[in-house]
Amino acid sequence: MELFLQFITGGLFFGGMYTLIALGIVTIYKSTRVFNLAQGWMVTLSAFMLLTLVELLGGIAGVIAGLVFGALLGFGIDRLLMRPLIGQPLVAPFLLTIMLAYIFEGINILVWGSMSYEMPIKLPGESLRLGSVVVGHSLLWGIVAAVLAFTAFSMFYWRTLMGRVMRATAEDHQTAQSLGLPVKGVFSLSWMLAGMLSVIGGLFLGVVSGVNMLMYQSLLGAISVVLLGGLDSIAGAIVGGMILGLIQSLVVGYLSPSLADVIPYIILLGILIIKPYGLFGLVRIERL
Amino acid sequence: MDRPAGIFDIRYEQDMAVIRTAPQWVCLIGFLILLAALPLFADSYFLSFMILTGIALIAVLGLNILTGFAGQISIGHQAFVAVGAYTTAVLMDSFHWNFWATVPMAGVAAAAVGVLFGLPSFRLKMLYLTMSTLAAQFIIMAFFSHAFPDYFRAVSGIRVSRPELLGIDFRENEAFYYVVIGITVIMTYFSRNLVRGRLGRAFVAIRDNDLAGEVIGINVARYKLYAFATGCFYAGISGSLHASYYRMVNPPQFPIDVSIWYLGCLIVGGMGTTIGAIFGVFFLRIIKEFVTIISPILADLVSPLDAPKIGPGLGIISWALVVVLFLIFEPRGLAHTWEVLKSRFRHWPFKFSI
Repeated sequence: MELFLQFITGGLFFGGMYTLIALGIVTIYKSTRVFNLAQGWMVTLSAFMLLTLVELLGGIAGVIAGLVFGALLGFGIDRLLMRPLIGQPLVAPFLLTIMLAYIFEGINILVWGSMSYEMPIKLPGESLRLGSVVVGHSLLWGIVAAVLAFTAFSMFYWRTLMGRVMRATAEDHQTAQSLGLPVKGVFSLSWMLAGMLSVIGGLFLGVVSGVNMLMYQSLLGAISVVLLGGLDSIAGAIVGGMILGLIQSLVVGYLSPSLADVIPYIILLGILIIKPYGLFGLVRIERL
Repeated sequence: MDRPAGIFDIRYEQDMAVIRTAPQWVCLIGFLILLAALPLFADSYFLSFMILTGIALIAVLGLNILTGFAGQISIGHQAFVAVGAYTTAVLMDSFHWNFWATVPMAGVAAAAVGVLFGLPSFRLKMLYLTMSTLAAQFIIMAFFSHAFPDYFRAVSGIRVSRPELLGIDFRENEAFYYVVIGITVIMTYFSRNLVRGRLGRAFVAIRDNDLAGEVIGINVARYKLYAFATGCFYAGISGSLHASYYRMVNPPQFPIDVSIWYLGCLIVGGMGTTIGAIFGVFFLRIIKEFVTIISPILADLVSPLDAPKIGPGLGIISWALVVVLFLIFEPRGLAHTWEVLKSRFRHWPFKFSI
């Protein structure tokens, strides 16, 4: 029972991290129809950047600088790489994000090397004791951050004017443009939001499991979260993320650790065969 | 289908021919002779460069059929190469087959696995199908790493011996070069012809507009599976040669990075053209070798602490950056540049051609 609780909290934490990444992918996909495969790599890059910034500026200022970096990263990607591809078939930006992932990996190796670092941030609070079970407080912080991010995004999309503009853009680019909505601005904004989400993800992942080059191997699994929850569904990101995190943690705990890297892809293949548009995704009726 | 002035097709055979003019025949035969004579004057470094390029080229030709012609983007191609490599290795190691018999078997096995992972294409397209190939990459590699340890021996790797035929020993690179180049030339020939026939036209129709393809009588789902089968058959052949060249097969040889690299080759060369696949592979291979040469020089310039980062870092950035630049500035790839150059040459001194 104690082990089970441990696995559950661990699973929820990784589910939260998957949620943060999936939120980034969904935000970009919703408004630009570009599937950002590089989101996991962006998280790794942000984690390394946070490392340097926190060492330079200290705790809170470093995290704020990190968020600014994330926004700038997203803005730069949109302005320099995605803008020239507007009007080309959607395959082109998708392929570009794949290649972008490798550029980030190369930058990581060039600047920080392939060593493992510890994030020099201590989250406030102490480990929680539930009977004989010890739950790390950084895990809880991660889960809370994911839930907060989900709530904030839902509120943003459904309650604010900008959120409405973004939903309108997601509906149809040309109609939105002809109604006078700032479509290009929405594209930039979604990339900036995704960049900031990657910084938050990088922060908590870095605190819990250290910053190293192996991160994107595991973060690539977030793709199956996105497909599980539905490509354009914010709620799908958190539900899918938590489901995957729990399944992965329980399988690793009770069956075999060597399955850890395959679980997301088995789920991915299953969801593609059974329900391709995910749990909450918009079903586009198409005959093939 | 731009042609030099004064060439008229007066018979159907002429109209369908791949090689049309006398200069093209001269170029082709000269090039084949050059390829055949290469081991006489090239050093061992260049020979191994050519062998590895040939092996990669076969895989990229397969990916070109699948992605370039049929439009099904695959980011798990190296896993199908692994299927071919493991077929050859296991058949030779555990069942004592002859190498030459395992080569077609490797292709068939990879094609079968490819069809299996192409099955979701009955319901899916584009992005979703790409995701199923991503799943294929990780599931296949996990299968080789953890299943049947008696046969796959993931920890120690399987040793593969190089072949022998009619008393010729292919253990030396000079001899093995002919095996690789021979198979590469044959596969290139098939690829060039396949896409001009019924199958290739059906692929192009599916890529350009699957609905219209269905309407004019193409069974889209079946032809997508054909595309997977053909593309993965190429991958299997490539894997078979890969196993034989390295004399060893183990799971870390087949990472997802190489799958993406194959895709990069296609983008650089130009999707949907056979010549593009060749250009792309050579271009990225040359960049790779160039980085291997200059990174020790650069490593001397920086502090010893940073020196080990230069090689792997530049190795990844260089090709990824090149592919990104091609995507933005020349999406049609080197094949298009080559066509423009040829056309300039033909129409000189007039400028209004392209």
